[in-house]
Amino acid sequence: METIYEKLCAIFGSENVSDAPATLEAFSKDESFATPMRPFFVVKPENAKQVQALVRLANETKTPLVPVSSGAPHFKGDTVPSVPESIIVDLSGMNKIISINRQQRMAIIEPGVTYGQLQEALAKEGMTLSTPLRPKATKSVLTSLLEIEPRLNCLHQFNYTEPLRCVEVTFGDGNQIFTGAAGNGPQDLQKQWELGNWQVHSNGPAMTDMLRMVTQAQGSMGIVTWASLRCELLPTIKKMFLAPAKKSTDLEDFVYKAIWARIGDKLFVMNKAYLASLMGETAEEIAGLKEIMPNWVAAIGISGDILLPEMKVSAQEYDIKEYAKQTGVQLLPKVPGATGDEVLEKSITPSGEAYWKQTAKGAFQDIFFITTLDRTSKFIEAMYSLAITAGYPTEDIGIYIQPQHMGTSVHLEFSLPYNPENAKEAKKVKELYITASREMSKLGGFYARPYDIWSTIQLNKDAQTYEILKKMKNIFDPNNIMNTGKLTLK
Amino acid sequence: MAFPKEIYKALEDIVGKRNISENMGVCETYRCIPSQSSAHYGPSEHWTPLPQAVVLPGSTEEVQNIVRVCNKYGIEFKASTTFWSTMGYIGGDFAIQIDLRRMKSVEIDAKNMIAIVEPYAIAATVQAEAMKVGLNLNIPGVGCSSSALANASSWIAFGPNTISMGSGSENILGMEWVLGGGEVLRTGSLGSGDGWFCGEGPGPSQRGLLRGLFGTAGSTGVCTKMALRLHPWPGPADFPTYGTVPAYKADFGPNFKCYTLCYPNWEAWARSVQYFHESDIVYSGHRQFSMFGRNLKAAMLKIITDPDKQLCDIPALLEDPYIKEQNEKMKLDYQIVIAGFSERDLEYKEKAIDYILEQTGGWKSEMMLEKDMHDYALLYLTRLGHKNLNFVMCGAYEGTFGLSPNVWRTIQVVEEAAALKRKWEVEHTSIAATGGDSAMGSLSGIGGGGATGWEFFTNFDAYDKESVHGTCKFIDGNQEFHNKYSFGPDFCRWNSDVRHMNGYNYTQEEHDEMFSKTPQPWIFAYQYKIREAVNPKNLSGSYLRTVNPEKLK
Repeated sequence: METIYEKLCAIFGSENVSDAPATLEAFSKDESFATPMRPFFVVKPENAKQVQALVRLANETKTPLVPVSSGAPHFKGDTVPSVPESIIVDLSGMNKIISINRQQRMAIIEPGVTYGQLQEALAKEGMTLSTPLRPKATKSVLTSLLEIEPRLNCLHQFNYTEPLRCVEVTFGDGNQIFTGAAGNGPQDLQKQWELGNWQVHSNGPAMTDMLRMVTQAQGSMGIVTWASLRCELLPTIKKMFLAPAKKSTDLEDFVYKAIWARIGDKLFVMNKAYLASLMGETAEEIAGLKEIMPNWVAAIGISGDILLPEMKVSAQEYDIKEYAKQTGVQLLPKVPGATGDEVLEKSITPSGEAYWKQTAKGAFQDIFFITTLDRTSKFIEAMYSLAITAGYPTEDIGIYIQPQHMGTSVHLEFSLPYNPENAKEAKKVKELYITASREMSKLGGFYARPYDIWSTIQLNKDAQTYEILKKMKNIFDPNNIMNTGKLTLK
Repeated sequence: MAFPKEIYKALEDIVGKRNISENMGVCETYRCIPSQSSAHYGPSEHWTPLPQAVVLPGSTEEVQNIVRVCNKYGIEFKASTTFWSTMGYIGGDFAIQIDLRRMKSVEIDAKNMIAIVEPYAIAATVQAEAMKVGLNLNIPGVGCSSSALANASSWIAFGPNTISMGSGSENILGMEWVLGGGEVLRTGSLGSGDGWFCGEGPGPSQRGLLRGLFGTAGSTGVCTKMALRLHPWPGPADFPTYGTVPAYKADFGPNFKCYTLCYPNWEAWARSVQYFHESDIVYSGHRQFSMFGRNLKAAMLKIITDPDKQLCDIPALLEDPYIKEQNEKMKLDYQIVIAGFSERDLEYKEKAIDYILEQTGGWKSEMMLEKDMHDYALLYLTRLGHKNLNFVMCGAYEGTFGLSPNVWRTIQVVEEAAALKRKWEVEHTSIAATGGDSAMGSLSGIGGGGATGWEFFTNFDAYDKESVHGTCKFIDGNQEFHNKYSFGPDFCRWNSDVRHMNGYNYTQEEHDEMFSKTPQPWIFAYQYKIREAVNPKNLSGSYLRTVNPEKLK
């Protein structure tokens, strides 16, 4: 009888199937507090057919699959197997940019494409893609989009899933479909292009939304093998202004006004610990920046592209400064420690080899959730209070507020840097992470992307949603092979 | 099957005597002509079945209890609000109609730009409340007298504002939904009691089960409350209308402009649309008045903006040299509204439009710059309160052709489509002769720009069987055109696969036969499984397109 190894080799070739101890060890853990678990194998697919064959095999053998597209390091526990005998599906080798269409402002990419790779190719066509804040160098664009990482330009987030449009997905039951507009035609991109369909519309394809079955799912419903993305025009002029403040609440009216007036192709708020961490290249530099930077900063970017860019930027600059005055804040080209242009460049440029959040102390633990801007202050107060109780220095807590979905909600993130070599400090942060995660939920923080312990915290608040989630899982992954153990109660 | 008294009693106990009826006169009013819109086959043909009773719940709890009773006794149910189209009506004999008109609250969270609405809050009401606090909403083509919630939850919902605000689907935040099985699902942040602000997650979004390219048209349960994302309104807090019925006009002040932009050819037209898709210039954008046909639109605009004019004035107006000239100039056109958030913002937008016109060889229609015309078009596009005009030509209309993936695709075939319609106009007397091209539709079907509508308004006489049947034949011809260019179903055929011409539901076997032959049939198999999960007794008609997965093995 063929062993599972032999079956995997038959699909992928032996060079793309690994059970080397070092490889398995690397995928057995990440930089979070998630419990390590060694996988059985790591496979590297080269195409969607191989992925479908793997999923069918996994259904026959009841083997859990953990899809991973980004390169290391990983930080959220979602790529660490939750159950034994898992196979890591390493999609980082599928890194082709399948097409770029300037007329439609669309790009189609495979899972292993990174931001640096894509932005370079798009720039040649006069386009760019909205980004999350300073993504790591190895970050898969597709994973970042599937997991709905908050983007810097909330005003173009018409759909919650922007700029992700259509995907090819192999669901956990082994069936492969195209979603959105791509689902209405033949299952062949070339043939669709010949018919003038450029996979622009994300909804559907019919009366249900198949894309939303795989977003925020941590790979627990299926494996996506390409995605179409809506691009933006590459700015020919760009500026960023900074509004310093003593308290986060001092900036709320300004941010609300900017959102209302539809100004700002980048708009976010940070405290000084977070901004220093973003801007500093070394631990010492970060510490120094924290000493001089304002407590809070709102950053707003304006840009022009092909349509009278100077006039647009000039008008928006005048207006946003007026709105700043009206809302009692000063809009400046720089604050102590950083200019607006520097903040802009850092924000949109992928991190270096070392991820920027690790620079301050070597490791970090994030707590993030969705809320509204006017509620952020109560979470911030609670976080400081919990940190004091836990003995964690409040001045080290990085705080990032990212408006999303055209401003109807915000991503609120607390980042807790720590020294991983110091067991006592790591333990303290782990305890604070657990306590604060629960407390934030009690206060109304919504874990839309429920990684690790947040899954239990969030789903325990909402029995009906959990029941429906189980039904969804049963429809698309009836044998529970896709990232088994994620998005469940523990 | 007769409707037993105990069932009626059970329903009456839920909603009270005043909110239920089995009176024949009442029930008859809850029947509809079986078509996508309300007038396609004409009143002399089939009607949807007569409901056993009509119930008017006043709360989510009452809706839930009604659905539970339906599940207990196997009664088909269909909820509707403003009853614009056939999809709101039942498709079987052992069925009740749920009329949600008692549920009509509107709450606004102005800071976070959110409206929380119940089903019978029509778009006009939500808009009026929103404008008081500097906000507005996406009103789709169906118009402001339709339910804002139903538009977003249950059908497509794009219109003039979609380019700057997003479509109905894109504006959905938290939703409360009584599923077909009787459970209440609250999506996103609402489910855990955290607020209405996010409709997605936790994890994969349950809303994806209930709302896709278009909604499930009431076939997965009843949406009882929804948070809708609102958008900035830099205009007055009320609606400053003036004029004489029906030629209302509006002046929102100097920071609002409405232009009819015209182009020498379709290539230039498409290039200009692409410019608007790539910028944030436009507040609203629609090819609107071509609904009257490109040979008649200037004359019709003169009629509808002047309360003293009637349709019988068309021949004289068509002879007017000025109207002739203006009509000729605005054949390939669309309307846009720009809203200045400041003087500089308005100035930039004006200059940007001039630049686009310069680049594409386009121009602004002079006639549409006349004060009366300008203010009429501005009101029209902002409010979409003129659905009566859909019917004004011959008493009935249908929108044919329909959706295109993008403007570049549209312009390759639009003249051929216009010629096809013109041929019918000239050679048959079943549809009104308005000039072939009567394509109207949103500048974008999604936020920011993308898929576009090109709905050819086709006017016919619903009380004339020959006109009705001729129109049906014309639509058959259009479907052949659609097949030739792989456009999928014609707009008029969108719902031909969910309800028989006699108004009754399709059976599962009939759906299996239809949808197993589609390019990606598993999509419909998943919809079958979703229905099993949320509406296990399949009690809400056959609008959800499904294939039994067993048929694909």
